Amino acid sequence: MKPSLITDHPFGEAYAKRLGVSPWGGNLPGPKVEEWRFTPLRSLAKIAFAPATAKVDAIPNNVPLIAGAARLVLVNGTYRKDLSTVDLGKGVEVYQGKVSAKQGSSLVALNAAYAPQSLALHVTGVAKKVIHIISISAAGSEPAVAHPRINVTAENGSSVTLLESHVGLPGQTYFSNPVASIAVGEGATVRRYVSVDEDSEAFHLATSLVNVAAGGIFEGFHLGLGGALVRQEIRVALTGENAKVHLNGAYALGGASHHDFTTVMDHQVPNCASSQVFKGVVDGESHGVYQGRIHVARDAQKTDARQVHKALFLSRGPQIDCKPELEIYADDVQCAHGAATGEIDANHLFYLAARGIDPETARSLLVEGFLADAVNEINTETVRDLFGSAISAWLKKREVRA
Amino acid sequence: MAVTRETAAAVRDVEQYKYGFVTDIESDMAPKGLNEDIVRFISAKKNEPEWMLEWRLKAYRHWLTLADEEPTWAKLHFPKINYQDSYYYAAPKREKLASLDEVDPKLLETYKKLGIPLLEQQMLAGVAVDAVFDSVSVATTYKKKLEEMGVIFMPISEAVHKHPELVKKYLGSVVPYTDNFYATLNCAVFTDGSFVYIPKGLRCPMELSTYFRINEKNTGQFERTLIIADAGSYVSYLEGCTAPQRDENQLHAAVVELIALDDAEIKYSTVQNWYPGDADGKGGIFNFVTKRGACRGKNSKIMWTQVETGSAITWKYPSCILQGDNSVGEFYSVAITNNRQQADTGTKMIHLGKGTRSKIVSKGISAGYADNTYRGLVRIGAKADGARNYTQCDSLLIGDKCGAHTVPYIETRNPSAVTEHEATTSKISDDQLFYCMQRGMNQEEAVSLIVNGFCKEVLQTLPMEFAVEAQKLVGISLEGSVG
Repeated sequence: MKPSLITDHPFGEAYAKRLGVSPWGGNLPGPKVEEWRFTPLRSLAKIAFAPATAKVDAIPNNVPLIAGAARLVLVNGTYRKDLSTVDLGKGVEVYQGKVSAKQGSSLVALNAAYAPQSLALHVTGVAKKVIHIISISAAGSEPAVAHPRINVTAENGSSVTLLESHVGLPGQTYFSNPVASIAVGEGATVRRYVSVDEDSEAFHLATSLVNVAAGGIFEGFHLGLGGALVRQEIRVALTGENAKVHLNGAYALGGASHHDFTTVMDHQVPNCASSQVFKGVVDGESHGVYQGRIHVARDAQKTDARQVHKALFLSRGPQIDCKPELEIYADDVQCAHGAATGEIDANHLFYLAARGIDPETARSLLVEGFLADAVNEINTETVRDLFGSAISAWLKKREVRA
Repeated sequence: MAVTRETAAAVRDVEQYKYGFVTDIESDMAPKGLNEDIVRFISAKKNEPEWMLEWRLKAYRHWLTLADEEPTWAKLHFPKINYQDSYYYAAPKREKLASLDEVDPKLLETYKKLGIPLLEQQMLAGVAVDAVFDSVSVATTYKKKLEEMGVIFMPISEAVHKHPELVKKYLGSVVPYTDNFYATLNCAVFTDGSFVYIPKGLRCPMELSTYFRINEKNTGQFERTLIIADAGSYVSYLEGCTAPQRDENQLHAAVVELIALDDAEIKYSTVQNWYPGDADGKGGIFNFVTKRGACRGKNSKIMWTQVETGSAITWKYPSCILQGDNSVGEFYSVAITNNRQQADTGTKMIHLGKGTRSKIVSKGISAGYADNTYRGLVRIGAKADGARNYTQCDSLLIGDKCGAHTVPYIETRNPSAVTEHEATTSKISDDQLFYCMQRGMNQEEAVSLIVNGFCKEVLQTLPMEFAVEAQKLVGISLEGSVG
């Protein structure tokens, strides 16, 4: 009999030993944990995953590439020098770091226990090339789990643009549990664009821990296009004054996909600003989730924090759950959030139909336009185009199926 | 028949406790603590039929299984309540009263102090009062007039006897005895409350009103209100609360159920001004209330308006279940917390029927060291075609030691539904204060004016009688919060 994840997972014992905590079954957030209310892990817990060891010898075709970027490839969390670009250009170095078992959520702890090593980027100056990190999950015939770990340290005044593609080999059941920790130094700028386009049987529970020091700028964009169960949790701490964060995202879901964006914007000090725009379209029987919390600490006066989530239904059947949360302990702040759901406006369709555009094209145009509000927040043109065309491709696939 | 015999025996046993009651202050009390005997005692006191007792016991036994289920998700901090350290029954001693003249003058005096001149109420056109003093309805006025029109407005303990078919049919139909920790407790030990039935097609010509008051030391108050608006009827119900100063925390776990049938409309307004504790957070009422309305019929409407200024802790989510097609739910709330008060309040709008609409307007004001949370759920079911929700929550912070939080849940299962949510947080700007003070207002007046303006949208939905009181309250509640 296969061991079950909850009780006697093959990692359970080792994990417990290394961290001095109970096996991860006991640490896996249950349905009664408020933060996991909309994303139950029952389906994940039923599967016994083995450590991923399958071989990959090339970057899969479905990974979109951009010209002039330096590539770093991770296969099941292990850095593959042979598939990566050696010369990253000036201002940035890559090395394999150790993973420290820092406190965090159970998934972060799990990653800390099992990540083979971290892909560490040390940004010392102004990096010109886009650094494209490709994380490939490959399970083989049995379900497998991998724990990619990425650490980015941007020194004071430095700047870097990161693109991350999370993909897996098709037709496999795997669980990717990536953790990225990003430290944005004083006056530094980090742009990070993440695309999650996992296979339809895949689980992907990502945690990003971002720390922005005084005067630092962090721009994040997360795209969610596929996977059986995907969660992108992004926790940002603004720890120095005048830090700025733009965190945006988009998702397009079909089939039985479940996608969860969970963000925590933690304003710890005064005079910081954050903005969030998240947009999603849902089709089939999919389930879209957005949970965003803005926390403004007692002394974080003059905070300006905004967030908005909008979702569009493309059919009957999907489900949208949204929880934009404000937790405010300072009085001289500007905080606002907005949330809306609906379907494509019949008037808009009519407008386009009246101009000779067939309904399917019209719908695609409107959907692309809807998501463009978020995608246009991307400040790097090449990435904006890349993500834009990824969304177009997703829509095309949907048409073919329909 | 064994059950009946047992019950009878238990009642006899319980009757013996009578001599141990604290009767010196004109009040009848059950011994401290909670057990099955207390439930039987309360039921016996009320002379309840067996089905009612069985229902209470079912609830009590279920409550015992909920020991670990006391809600902890709210943003509230308070010491664990010892449910055995409280009295569950206290009633003003009374004989059957024919008219108000027979009411204990001391009681009437208390009402006067609270600004509720009961005797004058009769003369005041349009307001009938069902006064609740420590759990038992003492006097019901304007009863005859309403009776002639077919309106049933009486203590629920009386309705159990006089209209058992209605009570049986509707009691627990919106908030079942398994609903939540506090509601289940209420089902087991509720003492009294109001029962209202508006017959078909009648527009109730006067506003119905109950004043609640907690008097006995250490007495949890467990009110139970049931309002049924039959097809095509309309009723407006007012609920107002005050409480004398106490040092120990007092528990209040009321349940209110509203049922609106086809084309019926219920308007339920509350001004809650219970003792909030002193400036250091000592004392004050714990207010854990389950209020829910069911729009059962098509085109029915339920409207909740609340002005929450009192209580040390408020845990309250007046909700609407929009079952009937094209039914409407509305929720207007002003919640003010000052000093060490904590409020976690909001609403739930459950859209089930086609074309259902809901509107939520919530204004939270936080001052001193207080925390004020709006927590609301909007759920659109898969069959709720064309459902519509609009939510607006605004928070106002006064001072830099308080907190304002917004936790909306929006769950949509239907593509044709449109939901919108907006929330803002701000403070009273110095410009606004300066403008008012420059025109001769003192700071407190200015704050009161500005806050009243901030809440205007909600206060406007209150009936006249309440609107004036509420406006004053808003000012009083924030006294000492600025400067």
